[in-house]
Amino acid sequence: MTAVLEARGLGKRYRRLWALADCTLSIPAGHVVGLVGPNGAGKTTLLNLAAGLLAPTTGTIEVLGGPPPASPVQLARVGFLAQDAPVYAGLPVADHLRLGAHLNPAWDEELARGRIDRLDLDPGQKAGKLSGGQRAQLALTLAVAKRPELLLLDEPVASLDPLARREFLQDLMEAVAEQGLSVVLSSHLVADLERVCDYLIVLVGSRVRVAGPVEELLATHHLLSGPRRDPATLPAGQQVISASHTDRQTTLLVRTSDKVLDPAWMVSEVGLEDLVLAYMSQAAGRSRRNHLEVQK
Amino acid sequence: MTWLTWRQFRAQAVAAAAALAAFAVLLAVTGPHLASLYAASGITGCHSGSCGQLASTFLSQVAATSIDPAVYLLGIAGVVLAPAVIGIFWGAPLIAREFEAGTFRLAWTQSITRARWLAVKLGLTGLAALAVTEALSLIQAWWAAPIGQAARLATDSNFPLGMSPFSLLAFDAHGITPLGYAAFAFTLGVTTGVFLRRAIPAMALTLVIFAAVQVAIPLWIRPHLFPPDHTTATLSSFTALQTRIGPNGAFAFAVQFLPTQPGAWILSSGAVNAAGQLVSTSPAACKSLALSSSPTWTQCLASHGIRIGVTYQPTSRYWAIQGTETAIYVALALALAGYCFWRLGLRRLS
Amino acid sequence: MVIEFHLDARSGVAPYLQLIHQVRQALRLGLLREGDQLPTVKDVVAGLAINPNTVLKAYRELEYEGLVAARPGIGTFVTGTLAGSSLAAHGPLRRDLQRWLAKARRAGLDDESIEALFISTFRSAAEEDIA
Repeated sequence: MTAVLEARGLGKRYRRLWALADCTLSIPAGHVVGLVGPNGAGKTTLLNLAAGLLAPTTGTIEVLGGPPPASPVQLARVGFLAQDAPVYAGLPVADHLRLGAHLNPAWDEELARGRIDRLDLDPGQKAGKLSGGQRAQLALTLAVAKRPELLLLDEPVASLDPLARREFLQDLMEAVAEQGLSVVLSSHLVADLERVCDYLIVLVGSRVRVAGPVEELLATHHLLSGPRRDPATLPAGQQVISASHTDRQTTLLVRTSDKVLDPAWMVSEVGLEDLVLAYMSQAAGRSRRNHLEVQK
Repeated sequence: MTWLTWRQFRAQAVAAAAALAAFAVLLAVTGPHLASLYAASGITGCHSGSCGQLASTFLSQVAATSIDPAVYLLGIAGVVLAPAVIGIFWGAPLIAREFEAGTFRLAWTQSITRARWLAVKLGLTGLAALAVTEALSLIQAWWAAPIGQAARLATDSNFPLGMSPFSLLAFDAHGITPLGYAAFAFTLGVTTGVFLRRAIPAMALTLVIFAAVQVAIPLWIRPHLFPPDHTTATLSSFTALQTRIGPNGAFAFAVQFLPTQPGAWILSSGAVNAAGQLVSTSPAACKSLALSSSPTWTQCLASHGIRIGVTYQPTSRYWAIQGTETAIYVALALALAGYCFWRLGLRRLS
Repeated sequence: MVIEFHLDARSGVAPYLQLIHQVRQALRLGLLREGDQLPTVKDVVAGLAINPNTVLKAYRELEYEGLVAARPGIGTFVTGTLAGSSLAAHGPLRRDLQRWLAKARRAGLDDESIEALFISTFRSAAEEDIA
């Protein structure tokens, strides 16, 4: 299966700060990919690079087989929904659809009209007067009705209330089922992504910490708890992501493709949220250590 | 993209159309009166000797009416200010607004290239800018035609703003220069918008730079586009000689019109001796007469070989200067447009 | 639509398994009969906001178990039943269970302890099946 997004050593720097560093990914087609990480981790930067709105400082990125945005043909195959769903405030909803129709050769007018009707959006209403949820739905309609192969969504539900959030995701999944889209959507909350994503990328501190199918990630990460022990004593195949100790007890989150056979450990499954939190704390711990070292 | 550009431009187009209509109505209402005055003045078909006087009379008549000078000034002001207004209100927000509102992320992820997006926006709105400016200029020129005709012939006048077609505001408002200014002001506005990414600061910067250029070019560049002509003439051939007299026989002369070419552009003038050098001190024999600045004093100077030397651009160079200046502005406009294309190709995040 | 799915996000059970359970339950109770069409993938994800692959996986597994069959372009239809195979074993199993419950109560276990004992034994037995 061809990759929808292929990044090699991708990096983006603004003046002195690296917003994204050393990013190497190969995202297969046919998935709903969750890009999760704290604010400022580089999610928006990565998505904007993929959409061709930014140029890389180092490394390469290829989307649907070519560097973005290579040509009108490639632009037509990728849909993008920017953070906060920007729309033309002075233009009514109907004119936004006309915009889509004029600027996209593969525009599906019926699909767009149908969505607007179903969402109960007034075609004559100026887009600036819509609620946040309605704006997000309008922007999603524009992105989906151009019939792309890949949809990139930057924190699409961040500022939506729970009902609007649920409706947005319902609509998005319906579009995925109907059109066979690949989707990459970002969020700083794992809960938003858990239901809909079957592939996960964790981005913390401008770097990719872990990436892979959700099923595989859940199967290869385990929570081990047992008597107090130095994490360095674990076998080589078990990578410790996070560790916490009390006087007598050690709890570790490890990544391993083998079964954990040591009877001293109680092995339990890890939820997606805890998995992501473990990687976030791992990144934070490392940077804290660096900070201390510099201070010496 | 054509539709979208029009749709985003619609409100500004309506405002421009309304302003243009108001302008046209005002001038249409007052035009015929001016034309009939001109017809009655006898300038058409006049003999070369009397033309100057008839023209001056006509212009004084026009100046005496309460409406015509005001409308003339308003018309000229409209044409001269239009490029600035266009640059500020059409040019500066064109791209800056898209950055401010984040809508460039919507526009640049549709199925057209950024180059095409910019080309259509710049091209169509720029054409509208040129059309509006040219329309204003043509309407004003139609209205002021009688005055322009008379100005070419008049030897003196107290009509406001001076009358030579080279006079500052007249040159800026007539011919093809308004097109150059409009093109430059518009692309300057767009460029500041691309550079600053915020509409209000871009508008302010456009105003400052455009005003500076519009002052600098007529002052320092326009007079030197072509090497000027020189001529001398007797003191007596000038009817209006501006004189300044200082202590110890120092003096200076200046003229506003060349009697042989009323419409010429005087760059500098002064008293010169027989050898053509500037004279700033009265010959000893004439000093005592200087205080009165009477005709006897000027006769004394003339008898010592003192004449008026004039450096000027002849009326025949009008179109050459117009064309060259417009070409400069158009070249600037194209350079700025090129910069915009280059800059937007760099794909920055705001 | 004949049946509607729901999802318990906090149950710890994988979503696709929950869907499979609900189909099997519906078959057992007779809510789903042979020839009925299961909700389309599109309808399920539009209702639950879950990944279409989850639904596809559940339907594939049900097809593998011989309970449903997919007809490309039309939908997924029920082909088997569960009612028959389980009813026969119900009676004796129920009596065995009643006897066990009586034993547990005599041993002094309260309701919660009985439930915990049952679930932990059930889960470890399931894991051994997989291993």
